Amino acid sequence: MILDAGPAPATVRPTSLAEAREAVAREGALLFRGGGTKLDWGSTPTRVDRVVDTTGLSGIREWNAADMTAVVRAGTSLARLQAELAAARQWLAVDPALGPGEAATLGGVFAADDGGPRRLRFGSIRNLVIGLVFVLSDGTVARCGGRVIKNVAGYDVAKLFCGSLGTLGLIAEITVRLHPLPESGVTVRIDAPAEGASALLPEILAAPLEPVALDWAEDALWIRFQGRAAGVEAQAAVVRDLAHNRGLAVEELQGTTEADRWSSLVAGLAGQPGETVVRGSTVPDQFGSAVEALRRAAEDAGVRATMHSHAGLGLHTARLSGGDALAHAAAVADWRRRLANLGGHAVVRRRLPGVEAAVSVFGPDPSGIDVMRRLKALFDPAGRCAPGRFVGGI
Amino acid sequence: MIDRRLQDDLVDILGPGGVWSHPADRRTYECDGLTTQRVMPGLVVLPRTTEEVVAVVRACAAAGVPIVPRGAGSGLSAGALPQAEGVLIGLARMRDICAVDPANRQMTVQAGVTTAEVNRAAAPFGLYYAPDPSSGIVCTLGGNVAENSGGAHCLKYGFTSNHVLALEVVLADGEVVRLGSAAPDLPGYDLRGAFVGSEGTMGIVTEVTVRLLRRPEAVRTLVADFESPSAAGAAVSGLVAAGIVPAAVEMIDNLAIQACEDAVGAGFSRSAGAVLIVELDGVPGDVEAEFAAAGAICVDAGSTHIRVAADAEERALIWAGRKAAFAAIGRLSPNYVVQDGVIPRGRLPEVLDSIGRRSREAGMRVANVFHAGDGNLHPLVLYDGSREGEQERALRLSIDIIELCVEYGGSISGEHGIGLEKACSMSRMFSQDDLEVMQRVRRAFDPAGRCNPGKIFPTPGLCGERSYRAGPLESADGDAQP
Repeated sequence: MILDAGPAPATVRPTSLAEAREAVAREGALLFRGGGTKLDWGSTPTRVDRVVDTTGLSGIREWNAADMTAVVRAGTSLARLQAELAAARQWLAVDPALGPGEAATLGGVFAADDGGPRRLRFGSIRNLVIGLVFVLSDGTVARCGGRVIKNVAGYDVAKLFCGSLGTLGLIAEITVRLHPLPESGVTVRIDAPAEGASALLPEILAAPLEPVALDWAEDALWIRFQGRAAGVEAQAAVVRDLAHNRGLAVEELQGTTEADRWSSLVAGLAGQPGETVVRGSTVPDQFGSAVEALRRAAEDAGVRATMHSHAGLGLHTARLSGGDALAHAAAVADWRRRLANLGGHAVVRRRLPGVEAAVSVFGPDPSGIDVMRRLKALFDPAGRCAPGRFVGGI
Repeated sequence: MIDRRLQDDLVDILGPGGVWSHPADRRTYECDGLTTQRVMPGLVVLPRTTEEVVAVVRACAAAGVPIVPRGAGSGLSAGALPQAEGVLIGLARMRDICAVDPANRQMTVQAGVTTAEVNRAAAPFGLYYAPDPSSGIVCTLGGNVAENSGGAHCLKYGFTSNHVLALEVVLADGEVVRLGSAAPDLPGYDLRGAFVGSEGTMGIVTEVTVRLLRRPEAVRTLVADFESPSAAGAAVSGLVAAGIVPAAVEMIDNLAIQACEDAVGAGFSRSAGAVLIVELDGVPGDVEAEFAAAGAICVDAGSTHIRVAADAEERALIWAGRKAAFAAIGRLSPNYVVQDGVIPRGRLPEVLDSIGRRSREAGMRVANVFHAGDGNLHPLVLYDGSREGEQERALRLSIDIIELCVEYGGSISGEHGIGLEKACSMSRMFSQDDLEVMQRVRRAFDPAGRCNPGKIFPTPGLCGERSYRAGPLESADGDAQP
């Protein structure tokens, strides 16, 4: 969407680190692009002279299966990476929406700090990245971190790139910690509209369970267990009992049915053309209030809203449809205000044209914004990396 | 010494009980856990509140005096080594537990609260704080944040960085910022992530909000004896290959076993070349299946005896034995240096061989205690400081061992930090550009460089001429390994 306005900027597609440096160091405002599945995240850059396509920086450079780490070029498609790792029954434990054609790249997922339901167990990708090679707009090529899973030598610069939406520099290579693929899995789906889910959630959270995902979507709770067969079965039985005690209908999903249902749920997180997608956030026990806040905000603005919540994490993705851009913006502003009262916040992702003019993509500047501005100025002195795309106009 | 006027200002802020100027008092703070490095601080202050920290930091900024934060002083890399012309800010009096939120499994504490106190406050709710540095009884959360502390259980659960949700930080100009938030994914750069592990060089942490975990339903622990550390290393590789992620995998070599047994009597076999402690936790079905598999893997790797902890009491005894290891080495030798390095797990046997060779060449004993599950080595070099030149030789050997880890694709620190001790070794892991970019991050937080100056980064004054690692472009495809 951000590329629609004005003449299309030129695209360069480096295929080596040296070419990447050359592409970045030349003057002009830059936009880094992986699979192009999240180009509409963040504010619209104020200027883009050149798109640097990272998909030429592709492939696993080094895979140390015995140590469960891999050095991967940032433009590698996440789907392809997972397929290769699966050969040794390993995976990178992130499960974000992969977008049309499963085009999402590792670099893009990291730069957007995107994740999916199993973040509940494995944490965000920020916790799985152990090293980075990056290119700054002044031509500096540097690394941080290392190739071992435990390492505190030097600053954890990689954290700053995680979720930076390409505003600090080009991510060229990422070293990741891998996990074993689970032996067995099952998902318990419980029919539970918002109120019922909100009542049942504390019971599930208090029970002796270790779900890998605990989501609420399509008027149901989705609780996923993975591990050894015996453990998975026993945990599913506990959840079934909790649901039966409340007279709620339960469905159990396994095998490809289970995988397909989750894929389609996760794909939904990205939203559809014509929708506005907002990622809200609260502490987990405010789930019920977050749903209710969205219902009211949407009703008052006259738009339709659905929500998919990673309820165990307190991350709520709202999809707004119907109504015009001003109505979407009003719903965003209202939901954001209500979430702020709960100690939370909200960030706009995909949106209708015109929404951004009426409501801030990121909301109020966070504490530490002056440090962030100094950081941006020190990493990208000329302000050439996706100018204006980030928080506070950074 | 510190300017009299600044000292008076600080007494006005903190009262006479909060400012230590007498040499005998200041001497208490001249080193942290790395006692071979000592500097008498210009002045010591002990604030109790964030407001007091702000006032102290502002006064120091106005006077152009550097500040060095300190928690319990249990760090092992001279990260809290004072400045002779600077003010040491001790956070140990900031001991309030500010809020416990059991429903969301979070707790907010002041920086001087100890790791053990966090766990005591969490226990009534069936919760605990996962990072478990061996110094947990004394070490503070503020210190854990500064060092990104780990411990035996971070293989499965991650380090401090994974468990810190939000920080209140006083920057070098006295500004108070909150980094991160109780609700996830605060918009903006992840300053909290950058701050954790910054060793006091970006500001002073005054308050920490941590994530708590629920106590696992099942915990099983075994101690497997092996003829050699290499055989134990093969068992670790076997566990990884079987897709088992234990809560902890610890290795203790024969020399360290003797010390632990003398100190605690945890029942480790004195005749074993090495013992491996393997702990699994989680839901009972998973744990039972994997515990049986782990036992079989140890046997396959040549374990000569396996002891299974019968109950929580025996488990606690085993851990007491392991955690006493560093201090217990004092029973074998008048002096010792603890080191901290990391290697890829599969390379343990080669690295151990190389350490053994260097130990023999140097004529000094090296005991080994490892967080084997994540490749984190703690070699302990034993020496007698009363012998001329032996301390220097021991320090040299310990640094050689750590730099060896880099040659094998590892790191010069897994959890103890760089501090002053290993600043010169940073050039082995990083290029000048890598380090220069880190300095940019530091300047974003502390433009004037007043927070804990002289730590982490190599300087010609400290290190002489060093050759740096080649940058990513120059090293073409790679990082040569032996």
